[in-house]
Amino acid sequence: MFTANTTLMLVATFLPLLGALVLLLVPKEQRRVFEIGSLLVMIVALLISLPFWFGYDRASDAVQWFQAWTWIPSLGVKFAVGMDGISLLLWLLTAFIGPIAIACSFKSIEERHKEYYIWMLVLQTAMLGVFITQDMFLFYLFWEVMLVPMYFLIAIWGGPQKLYAAIKLFLYTLAGSVLMLVAILAIYFLQHKTTGGYDFSIASFQAMAPVIAQQTKTYQYLMALAFFIGFAIKVPMFPFHTWLPDAHVQAPTAGSVILAAILLKMGTYGFVRFLLPILPGATKDLMPWFIGLSLIGIIYGALVAMIQKDMKKLVAYSSVSHLGLCMLGLFALNPYGIKGGMFQMINHGISTSGLFLAVGIVYERRHTRMIADFGGLSKSMPVYATIFMIMTMSSIGLPLLNGFIGEGVILMGSFQAFPWAAVVATLGIILGAAYMLWMFQRVMFGPITAVNEKMEDLSLREVLYFAPLVLAAFWIGLYPKPLMDVMDAPVRKLVNQVNPGFYEAEALAAKQAAAAKLGMRGMAAPAHHEAAPAGHEGVEGHEASEAPAHEAPTHEAPGHGGGH
Amino acid sequence: MSGFAQGLLDALLRDSRLITPQLFLMTVATLMLWPGDLFFNRNEKHKWAPITLLILAATAVLVMKTPDGEGFSRMFRMDGLTRGFELLCVLGSAGAVALSVKLLDSLKQQTVEYYALILFSLSGMLFLCGASDLISVYFSIELMAICIYVLVAYLRDRATSVEAGLKYFLLGAFSSAILVYGISLLYGAAGGVTTNLADLNQALALTPGTSNLLVYAGVLMVLVGMGFKVAAVPFHMWAPDAYEGAPTPITAFMATAPKAAALAAFLRVFGTGFHGVSSDWVQPLCYIAGASMILGNVAAVKQVSMKRLLAYSSIAHVGYMLLGILSGDPKAGAQAVWLYMLIYIVMNTGAFAVVIYLQGKGEGERIEDFRGLGKKRPVLAFAMMVFLLSLAGIPPLVGFFGKFYLFKLAIEQGYVTLTVLALLTSAVSAYYYLGVVSQMYFREPEGEAVPMGAASVFIISVASALVLVGTAFGPWLLDWAGRIFWV
Repeated sequence: MFTANTTLMLVATFLPLLGALVLLLVPKEQRRVFEIGSLLVMIVALLISLPFWFGYDRASDAVQWFQAWTWIPSLGVKFAVGMDGISLLLWLLTAFIGPIAIACSFKSIEERHKEYYIWMLVLQTAMLGVFITQDMFLFYLFWEVMLVPMYFLIAIWGGPQKLYAAIKLFLYTLAGSVLMLVAILAIYFLQHKTTGGYDFSIASFQAMAPVIAQQTKTYQYLMALAFFIGFAIKVPMFPFHTWLPDAHVQAPTAGSVILAAILLKMGTYGFVRFLLPILPGATKDLMPWFIGLSLIGIIYGALVAMIQKDMKKLVAYSSVSHLGLCMLGLFALNPYGIKGGMFQMINHGISTSGLFLAVGIVYERRHTRMIADFGGLSKSMPVYATIFMIMTMSSIGLPLLNGFIGEGVILMGSFQAFPWAAVVATLGIILGAAYMLWMFQRVMFGPITAVNEKMEDLSLREVLYFAPLVLAAFWIGLYPKPLMDVMDAPVRKLVNQVNPGFYEAEALAAKQAAAAKLGMRGMAAPAHHEAAPAGHEGVEGHEASEAPAHEAPTHEAPGHGGGH
Repeated sequence: MSGFAQGLLDALLRDSRLITPQLFLMTVATLMLWPGDLFFNRNEKHKWAPITLLILAATAVLVMKTPDGEGFSRMFRMDGLTRGFELLCVLGSAGAVALSVKLLDSLKQQTVEYYALILFSLSGMLFLCGASDLISVYFSIELMAICIYVLVAYLRDRATSVEAGLKYFLLGAFSSAILVYGISLLYGAAGGVTTNLADLNQALALTPGTSNLLVYAGVLMVLVGMGFKVAAVPFHMWAPDAYEGAPTPITAFMATAPKAAALAAFLRVFGTGFHGVSSDWVQPLCYIAGASMILGNVAAVKQVSMKRLLAYSSIAHVGYMLLGILSGDPKAGAQAVWLYMLIYIVMNTGAFAVVIYLQGKGEGERIEDFRGLGKKRPVLAFAMMVFLLSLAGIPPLVGFFGKFYLFKLAIEQGYVTLTVLALLTSAVSAYYYLGVVSQMYFREPEGEAVPMGAASVFIISVASALVLVGTAFGPWLLDWAGRIFWV
């Protein structure tokens, strides 16, 4: 088997692009070649990416498999790649979704096969590239390149309003990312002024945080807002979300899957990687606004999803709500919140892709997605109904499935930081259960019409591409520890960057709690009443080495209780 | 011979090596008119196109061989900036000549004068690139522009062409008058001793406070005159009409070569001559640049004619390039503008090549005539898409690298608001460029698929290859641009 190293990482990332170039030479009548060829390329890329899961050193918070080649020396741009736990997870998610997105297109794509599969492969490389790059310039390149294939995927193979949706997606995202480019350049020159050198590496940008903190507040706010808008459009957060329903509804199934599973994660990834570590001060100052927007997104997305008549639109708005929850977790700026937010990104990638695939299946058979056109499908399509149910349950956070873990950890984190926000967010989760179950009920149960009675259940191919999603949902739901472990060290590093002193404060609080317990025990025994203060101090002084031992159980206990 | 005359002759001989390319062009162009015109009969005139291309190649070699120096009473200066922009002018002219062959053939309008006028105009541009005195700036502009007036009105039996020529000529003459009036004010304000840019810079710094208004008015008038030449808003009114009416290769020519020369003069006049009084012109130039970006991009959205769309987009691109002139560091500004112009010439010539190719097939130049091109002519449509996305500055195409270099400089120089504006308007530009792409790829074609003729594919494939190769080497291009001048 391969061992994980930089070369292999680049191979896995650029293999889809290479595949696209090879497919370019095949005559366009060879539909099968494109389908099978691109599927094979995606599967091979996925297989190549697997060793990284096992080879990742979970104890280290460093960027692993890091390598940098000189690229544009005069600007300080390097072709720098590498991954830490956070990027590794999303990178693997991308590689994982790739084959599924191809496999679900075999039937639904009925024209211009050559272009379709080539664009899919190009898109895959661009997305994988975003997660491995360690250089701002390179990051921006990949970030923008993604847009072009997505634009074509929606505009050629989309629904009736495809042109409008495609250009809206393109312009919205472009406008956001050019603002981000300005902020990147501004920080780049600030760095030049401070250190005298030119450097685009992400690490050097993160190292600028203390210098940025000394700039004027206006400067910091402008920088933070430029990054915020760039990423918030991609996520999308509340006032910037309007492109999402259009894009999702018009996109072909595979486009929706990729959009939901990966493209939206680019935004959250951007927050984790850039906004939080580079501009911690401004982020904290603007936090009430960010939290407010996240909460509005959660509630508003859920309410709007509730009234949708179109299944795909419903799932699209549910994404707005779920991503709001992710953002709430990230903005808690504590380990639970960030881990939960990251975790929920993966979950959302799995469950929402599943739901979009499920909607795509009935659309392929009936050419309608209106909830009112369906009913009683559980009778004609039992396998489909089962899988749909699993995905629905995963999406609403039923215990044993992946969604539950993510939501629980996010709520823990946000409760620690802003209790009231967590309370409001819970409302969104309840609403989420309401609209999903209501849709499930209307589609799957009730009287069945003659047309729906004739609908065929899933074919083997369809079962096969749902299977990995179902397995992943159960695996994560039952045993989330490996995913959490991967994020552990990088999240700890991030929390230290954005919230310095958090761990010290927490350790101190735990110590005080332990001491208070001892003190209370002292108070409970009347004979020692007088000596209690002295004894208290004695405990602290003498048994400093033992303090962690006291702290560990008291601190860990609530964590475990809430987590499972 | 008296000593004075002897000295003059010596100086002339010594200095003329600085202008060998110009002398070569003028001689050859004159010889082309007579006796050259007698060589080929009426049906063989198209042979002048390859000959002109050879002449242009020779000119490029001569430009590279010309030594650095200053001459003609310091009216002309050969240095890195001159050489760089001279090469751009030659490149732009070569593109226009290559595009002309087919179109003029199909219109039966091949004449030797057409090619000779391009060469004369080019010699004016080469003078303009190196002009280091307000007087030489002025006469070079006139030499360049008068030839272009004629070229715009070249299709003399077409009303639009003649109208475009007349409009361009009237407004051009008007702007020249403003320019020359501004020059005379500055000459007076600086004490009436010099029009040399470097001397003027020192003299203007020493002017007494009472003549501040005079300097201000002079600088603004020069700015207005130059603004006309590069078609920056609000002095752009002639451009869309002139671009639309002119024969399409001349449109491509006007958008590239003369603009490169005018920008070189802009860089030298404002970067060298008015450097000391920059407080007088920075603010107005900011407004001009911003207005060009906004109006150019917004007006392009509504166009139905491809040529007009490219005309408005070229106004917007000039707006971006003015950012380089605003740079407080003239050398870095020149580099950024040069790189941007180089990339723009390639992209723009390519886009015009596609328009001309379709015109040659009688398919028209309206945007809706591009409908379904992706199916009818896949290669052509792909090339057009590459050019358009590159013009929009979508990475990783080469246009992005030009923009990146320019905007990076602007932010470094502190023009953050203007750069944000530039980036947002370039997002707007993506809208209309993609509008063409969507016509090509998402609309059904009217006719059947047509195979492409091998010969006409040449320039399209060359330019799109350049854009794609530029893409691959874009990052290195940035490095290289940093080194090309003043090594």
